[in-house]
Amino acid sequence: MHRIGRALFRLGSRVAAGESGYGCVGLVAMMAMLLPWQISHAVPSFARQTGMACEACHTVWPELTHFGRTFKAGGYVLDNLRQVRGVDSQKAEFLDLATTPPLSIMIQAGYTQLAKAIPDTSNPAVKGSSQNGTVDFPQQVGLFYAGKVAPHLGAFLQLTYDNGSGTLGIDNTDIRLADLLVLPNEKTLIYGLSLNNNPTVQDLWNSTPAFGFPYVGSSAAVAPVAGTQIDGGLAQSVAGLSAYVFWQEAVYAELGFYRSAKQGSSNALTGGTGPLDGTSSNIVKGFAPYGRVAYEYNADRHSLEVGMYGAAFRLFPGGTAAAPMPVNGPVNEFRDIAEDLQYQYFGENNSVSVVATHIHETMNLDASYRAGSVANARDDLTTERLAISYFYQHRLGGSFALFSTSGSSDAGLYAAIPADTSGNPGVVTSLNNRPDTSGSIVELDYLPWLNTKFGIQYTAYNKFNGGSTNYDGAGRSAQNNNSLYFLVWLAY
Amino acid sequence: MMLSLGCLLSVGANAEPTAGQAPLSVANLVNGVCATCHGPRGISVLPKYPRLAGQNANYLMVQLMAFRSRTRGDADAVGFMWGMAAQLDDPTIEALATYYSQQKPIAGRSGDTSLMARGNEIFNNGLESEGVPACSACHGTQGQGMADFPRLAGQHEQYLLKQLGAFQNNMRDVAVMHGVAAGLKSKDMQAVAAFLQAQP
Repeated sequence: MHRIGRALFRLGSRVAAGESGYGCVGLVAMMAMLLPWQISHAVPSFARQTGMACEACHTVWPELTHFGRTFKAGGYVLDNLRQVRGVDSQKAEFLDLATTPPLSIMIQAGYTQLAKAIPDTSNPAVKGSSQNGTVDFPQQVGLFYAGKVAPHLGAFLQLTYDNGSGTLGIDNTDIRLADLLVLPNEKTLIYGLSLNNNPTVQDLWNSTPAFGFPYVGSSAAVAPVAGTQIDGGLAQSVAGLSAYVFWQEAVYAELGFYRSAKQGSSNALTGGTGPLDGTSSNIVKGFAPYGRVAYEYNADRHSLEVGMYGAAFRLFPGGTAAAPMPVNGPVNEFRDIAEDLQYQYFGENNSVSVVATHIHETMNLDASYRAGSVANARDDLTTERLAISYFYQHRLGGSFALFSTSGSSDAGLYAAIPADTSGNPGVVTSLNNRPDTSGSIVELDYLPWLNTKFGIQYTAYNKFNGGSTNYDGAGRSAQNNNSLYFLVWLAY
Repeated sequence: MMLSLGCLLSVGANAEPTAGQAPLSVANLVNGVCATCHGPRGISVLPKYPRLAGQNANYLMVQLMAFRSRTRGDADAVGFMWGMAAQLDDPTIEALATYYSQQKPIAGRSGDTSLMARGNEIFNNGLESEGVPACSACHGTQGQGMADFPRLAGQHEQYLLKQLGAFQNNMRDVAVMHGVAAGLKSKDMQAVAAFLQAQP
């Protein structure tokens, strides 16, 4: 799950419903602080299934090596396990089932210290601060089925307990059907289908959002208000089917379509899980196209990838159970076009990785504009990220990353403290109605064993929600949101 | 078509291959498993993974059995091949070795001319001052392999260097090669590897 995207998602719902009140801002603030960073995973069940050590597929998990990318493109089915077999009267197989299910468990625990505590809004009559120094134990617990289901068919399925919501829910899921074709000229072509619930979760490189850096982040830090849709904004609330080809393990092309697949929603009339109605927000109209092209060049120990990806979403704003909005009429359109780059050096003792992406989103917000909940009918948003990582013997290393999001000013999307309300705690507001956020991340990691990670991550902001000082209109500076995060991450 | 290794144990032995063409089940195994690293015809693209095309069948069998029995201990053998070979039975190993031995090898990329010349010299005449015998005595004048000694021609330079290092430090425990590689300096290894990579 992605805290930035979800924060925007919540805001979108609020904007669509025509709300702009103080209470709702507070709610958004609380949710933003509780929502975790996008979490990327690698799972030991793959190692059990293949008999290969983590380092075959990962430089340092969850970042994939070339072999890991090929394994993923091939459908997660490579295995060496004994099988339960079934054959028909013609000795044709109709069952090929591993005797050991590819299950894994992941647990994350963290401790987060903010540069400055955030206001405590639990009792408006008493001013104070929330406790600074948050223990998340666990931050998340994940249960994975990750591996072969049948010949050619594999799955990466994750159920996650999230301490923010206190519930177990569906997380990133990618079910693949794949095969390899040897062309007449001895070239290879891997081709397949992916059924997934998060645009880019099916991607092979770590320069795209779903499995991009930072691979983990605090769930108790303050999240900026803006993020593009393809950057986790629709994660776990859509389902997509895409077809892909990977020629000679170098040229990759993919085309797919997404449609809403809401979790936890119900139809107001029948009480069933569908059809979706106006009590749900950001519902995809029709099918949203998704495309991806990439080229990877490998030489000796070096690997270089350049590519593009993008999607176009037409979303009915919808509403909430308390403030439903009919799912018809005008839509908000989001067109996301992105470029990405990944470089890896994979030596015997040293590995270096560089991942970068640039995402540009143009928003045509006709629906929300007509409803009066955004200031502009047209907005844009740009996100850029660059991360450099170094590890020694897969065990000791760190990363340095720069990130930036900027875009047009919009008093509806990025609301300031309402003029007629006193005592607003700010934090997730924007005094100048801008989404601009930028900063850097420094992370150090130690992996005593390849499936255990202990990390320290420091996130520093130059800008937050449009400004450096008093960005929220309540006197908070961007630097006040700097966070120090200690992480324990175990997968087994 | 991807089939698990376990499924192939019985059918692999019953197949009737013709020269250079794998029986159906081994083709499945090659394309679905081995080709991920070594390529469908044994011409791997990445230098981390050895080229198998034209390799001596006996050598391939011995190596696969060593992976299966976990007696070959260099890092990539442990990390990759111990798992991959764990479920292979003898007939399947033989079929795989036969298949790859029948594939046509190709020469790799040529490197620095003087470096390759130095490598040629060491490979064919040894380094008397360092007590290094001529490699060609066992591996053939062009590194094409002899009897049970592996083919080295066309092999990735990086892979060859890694193996020489593994022989030197006994990660790959082969007494003969440990003795040969013990006297090789890093630049000599690079020269030999560069020469061999470029051989057809």
